Amino acid sequence: MEDDQSEANKQSKETQDLAAHKKHTEMLQRLSNMHHSRLQQTAARRSAADSSYPSFETVQSFLSRFSDSKISVEADLQRCRALAASDPDAKPQIKAELDKVSASISDLERLVAETSYFLPPYEKFSFKSKASSNRDHPSPLVKEFDDLVGVNTAPQSKIVVTASPGFRNKQGEILVKTFSPEERDGEFSLNDLDSCDVYLKGRFRALFIHRLNNCHIFAGPVLGSILIEKVNGCSFMLASHQIRIHEAEESDFYLRVRSKPIVEDCKGVRFAPYRMFYEGIEKDLRDSDLEEETGNWAHVHDFRWLRAVQSPNWCVIPDEELVALRDVSDVKGKSFDQD
Amino acid sequence: MGLLSIIRKIKRKEKEMRILMVGLDNSGKTTIVLKINGEDTSIISPTLGFNIKTIKYQKYLLNIWDVGGQKTIRSYWRNYFEQTDGLVWVVDSSDIRRLDDCRMELVNLLKEERLSGASLLVLANKQDIQGALKPTEIAEVLNLSSTDKTRHWRIVGCSAYTGEGLFQGLDWLVQDIASRIYLID
Repeated sequence: MEDDQSEANKQSKETQDLAAHKKHTEMLQRLSNMHHSRLQQTAARRSAADSSYPSFETVQSFLSRFSDSKISVEADLQRCRALAASDPDAKPQIKAELDKVSASISDLERLVAETSYFLPPYEKFSFKSKASSNRDHPSPLVKEFDDLVGVNTAPQSKIVVTASPGFRNKQGEILVKTFSPEERDGEFSLNDLDSCDVYLKGRFRALFIHRLNNCHIFAGPVLGSILIEKVNGCSFMLASHQIRIHEAEESDFYLRVRSKPIVEDCKGVRFAPYRMFYEGIEKDLRDSDLEEETGNWAHVHDFRWLRAVQSPNWCVIPDEELVALRDVSDVKGKSFDQD
Repeated sequence: MGLLSIIRKIKRKEKEMRILMVGLDNSGKTTIVLKINGEDTSIISPTLGFNIKTIKYQKYLLNIWDVGGQKTIRSYWRNYFEQTDGLVWVVDSSDIRRLDDCRMELVNLLKEERLSGASLLVLANKQDIQGALKPTEIAEVLNLSSTDKTRHWRIVGCSAYTGEGLFQGLDWLVQDIASRIYLID
């Protein structure tokens, strides 16, 4: 009896095992199918993206694409006008037509937004600073673009603006700037730097940062504000009254800030407290009203995430990844004041 | 009599003015408003949304709407256009790179029909920063001389940090609005 019992048990156990095994195999199969189809989708998406992006990633092709759309929109509008003039009862038809036109214009706007990252820099004025006029940003092309979008540019004026002090268009360099007492009331700019280490010692009034890639920035206190736009793979050591960060990706910010720093259109940015030293920094911090650690480095406002839960775009740097206090007293490097 | 005209009458009696402060982010709008109102300006976070301040100024009551300038919220500016008597466009005179953005945003704003009657005060802020453009230069870059002939406008250099120029600008704005809407005085 007992044997029978145990035999029966064994058998049922085997059936169960078999069923479980079958289930398991099926699940694996399903998972593998899902994985496969996901891969396929990704590949399809990527190839779609490939075909729609690099094919016009030149300014020339953008301009021709833009002007094609513009001509087509203008033709549509012309047709509407003609229709309205010839047939007073064509209102609904015209409305549908206009909806189509406005959709095309939205597409056009999106195209401009999507391609803006490789279009020539925006630093174009009706006046040109002496320094920038012989740089390699071709202004005729920019003009052409202006005409296309129909922006009213100011008539050629005679103002000559000397480029503001800063480091611009450098690659793989160590850049050091020490602010003299006479320069403390001035602003400073870091533009278009790639793989540079930048040390700004002393205090000053405003800092503008635009288009940096793979750079490390160490700056003394800024009485006023810091504006950061378009940075990737960088680290920053900054102290200021206000800090605004736009379009930053995969970058670390070690901040001391009196108000709450803000991020907008950022991804993978991380925050930690300011930890920088050079001889005399205590006095500079005091004179800039930044001697107090407010803890605001961790109170980041994300303008793209207006919900109560933590934004997925930024986080605090974990303790084990924090860099050590950085003493930049003896850092030497090339010093280009104006460029 | 429509509700709107009754509201307008009441507004007239109390001598209220509605003033809209706009401009790119980082131009100093909130600091200007707080400075005018005699408040502490040492801790100001970038404006998420807007602030309203009611300030007694001379014999008028100014309702100042200070609307955030970050890109994300610029599209909401239009929600504040209605019934605006005075428009204050604030410029960071030291931010030379973005002056072109600044001009385009202003051009778009001035196209707005609901703002067509508003007096325009351009504040060329941050004059205390070395290297900042002078008000005449800002006026030229923004192409203010080509502003519609019917628009009352003026540009004034100022520093929200020191307070310089703020009242000069505000005096002009308030007088200009008063001369337009309070004819009886």
